[in-house]
Amino acid sequence: MNGFAIQFLHGLSMTVLVAAVSGVLGTAVGLAGAASKLSAYRIPMWLAEIYTTVIRGVPELLVILLIYFGGTAAITFVIGRYVEISALSAGVIALTVVFGAYSTEIFRGAILSIPRGQWEAASSIGLKSWQIWLLVILPQMVRVALPAFCNLWISLLKDTALISVVGLTDIMRVAFVGAGSMRAPLTFYLAASALYLLLTSLSLLAFRMIEQHFVVPGQLR
Amino acid sequence: MRNRSAITPVLRGVTLTAHRHEVICILGSSGSGKSTLLRCLNLLEVPNRGRMWALGERLKLREAVNGRGGAVLDRRQIQRVRASLGMVFQSFNLWPHRTILENVAEGPTHVLRQPRREAIGVAEQYLAQVGLADRRHHYPRHLSGGQQQRAGIARALAMEPAVLLFDEPTSALDPELTGEVLKVIRSLAEEGRTMLLVTHEIAFAREVSTRAAFMHDGKIEEEGPSQRLFLDPASERLRRFLQSHY
Amino acid sequence: MQLDIFLQSIATLANAAFLTIALTVPSLMVGFIISVPLAFMRASDSRYLSSAILTYTYVFRGTPLLVQLFLIYYGLGQIEVIRHSPLWVLLRDPFWCALLAFSLNSAAYTTELFRGAIQAVPRGLVEAAEAIGMSRLQRARLIVFPIAFRTALPSYTNEVIGLPKASSLASTVTLLEITGVARRLVSETFAPYEIFLAAGVIYLALTYLVTSVFRLLERYLAGAEPKVARNTAMLSLRRVSP
Repeated sequence: MNGFAIQFLHGLSMTVLVAAVSGVLGTAVGLAGAASKLSAYRIPMWLAEIYTTVIRGVPELLVILLIYFGGTAAITFVIGRYVEISALSAGVIALTVVFGAYSTEIFRGAILSIPRGQWEAASSIGLKSWQIWLLVILPQMVRVALPAFCNLWISLLKDTALISVVGLTDIMRVAFVGAGSMRAPLTFYLAASALYLLLTSLSLLAFRMIEQHFVVPGQLR
Repeated sequence: MRNRSAITPVLRGVTLTAHRHEVICILGSSGSGKSTLLRCLNLLEVPNRGRMWALGERLKLREAVNGRGGAVLDRRQIQRVRASLGMVFQSFNLWPHRTILENVAEGPTHVLRQPRREAIGVAEQYLAQVGLADRRHHYPRHLSGGQQQRAGIARALAMEPAVLLFDEPTSALDPELTGEVLKVIRSLAEEGRTMLLVTHEIAFAREVSTRAAFMHDGKIEEEGPSQRLFLDPASERLRRFLQSHY
Repeated sequence: MQLDIFLQSIATLANAAFLTIALTVPSLMVGFIISVPLAFMRASDSRYLSSAILTYTYVFRGTPLLVQLFLIYYGLGQIEVIRHSPLWVLLRDPFWCALLAFSLNSAAYTTELFRGAIQAVPRGLVEAAEAIGMSRLQRARLIVFPIAFRTALPSYTNEVIGLPKASSLASTVTLLEITGVARRLVSETFAPYEIFLAAGVIYLALTYLVTSVFRLLERYLAGAEPKVARNTAMLSLRRVSP
């Protein structure tokens, strides 16, 4: 079991790494998605609509499997001999795609919640379009989007466990291997649960602190 | 009867008796405890100390210990008593997921356990009495405030209560809608129903009530037959209150 | 991308959808039935009761469903008492394990959802029910829950949509539902695009179906507009009378 403590630690860092990278990339995708959905142009709007509808309608596991096996097939086709895509990159791509789809909806809602007058006020004092986004819209949007974004981040943390199915050595994979070799599934999966619970609890705490930071004094939320 | 909120007592040493066919108006400025008094009567708020009788029954209450709220001892008794005290709320409180017919029939069906058909009949009769027969299949959100309050009155009436309690029934209404509600209340007074009415409509109170009580700071400052109380108040405070409200 | 493989897989996977539905619908029903009393306990004034329920919902919402599924499928067998109990017949079967995991997981989310909605029911509406002498159970059944359910419905719909997707995890404990069959087909034919896309199409169809049903339910529960209500006066009378 002692040897597994080290392995669990490695698994933990792998889980955090995958979640963090997909979270950051997915947020970027989400912002782009929200901008496309709210854009005046038909084609980006439709593309974003299809993207979010499809991804939110299919299981996360399926997305991971598609990118893992599909990615392997693609690389094999390009290189000409059988090469497997790494579980890490497949997992990060898949979860980025998933996170991006859900965060698109969150950001879109948050942007829409900002009153029209804010844009008008900002442009009336002569701010340029990008300045309006950066100085007026984004800061206000963060506050609205935070609670839902926190939930989404926690879902992402938990979804990383699915990448173990294609072989990523995260917390879940360590537990699976340990459970098999030590013949103590209960112990190992309980240990894994505790680690995930730790991660989600810490995230909740962190987000609560961030939310407090964004509270405007005297303003009701 | 005493009622203590966390810091200051809301009601202190209030004694009030209502006899059959009386219409008692409870007056007072806001914060004087008149709504709390009404809410204590059907135990939406439980007094910390005191004795209450309703329809000849002593209510079984537990006194508060160390400022921790009083409590109801016999839940069934309270449910029985509440069923015979019809309450009309300031903000109507109609159930939004039911048509007004269903709102009115709910009590007779589930509390009085009348057969559904009979309860619907009763509900239709009272909705007709408050002039809402043609609106019975509407949901509350499709009615005006005055119509909603009339439906609220019908809901209380359908329980065939011994006493009707009105908690500022027109305070949430636009001025042009109060008339229709007051008209319904007046007709109920004329029927000889026993009523307790908390209101800011002084002229109306004077017109319909047989007795009146003026509350100040959680106490009944003055109480008596309406004719005397309104024309010749003994308390200086009530005199000023009446002057400022005419 | 070969169209014939794609179409063929759609046909094969549509059959597997029956197992997906057989996992989803009972989990949903069990989750709902458990969550209603739990939500009331969670919303109750008793801090002890509320935090006991919170512990359950917090743990089940804070850990991956995959861990919960493996704990039940692989882990429970490690406990001697369970292995010798009559329940073992069910608990060593992956189907029942998946059903149990999905139900408990769904109940945890639904409980918190309903809890929020119960607490959002305006105090005055409950007082109106108290004032006509309704008992606690009657208030909960006739007033609080129906109003809370309508508030919670949009979020509950999302929860319901999540379940067929979550049931794809059953493929990890050997069950051949949509994803399970798709994985097997891929390992046999090595045509990942056609087959996984076909599976995606079927999940999308399921999601669409659930969304439509719940949108109808939402519209029904919102109550008809007055004009319609008057026309169907007889109907609504028949609905309320026994």
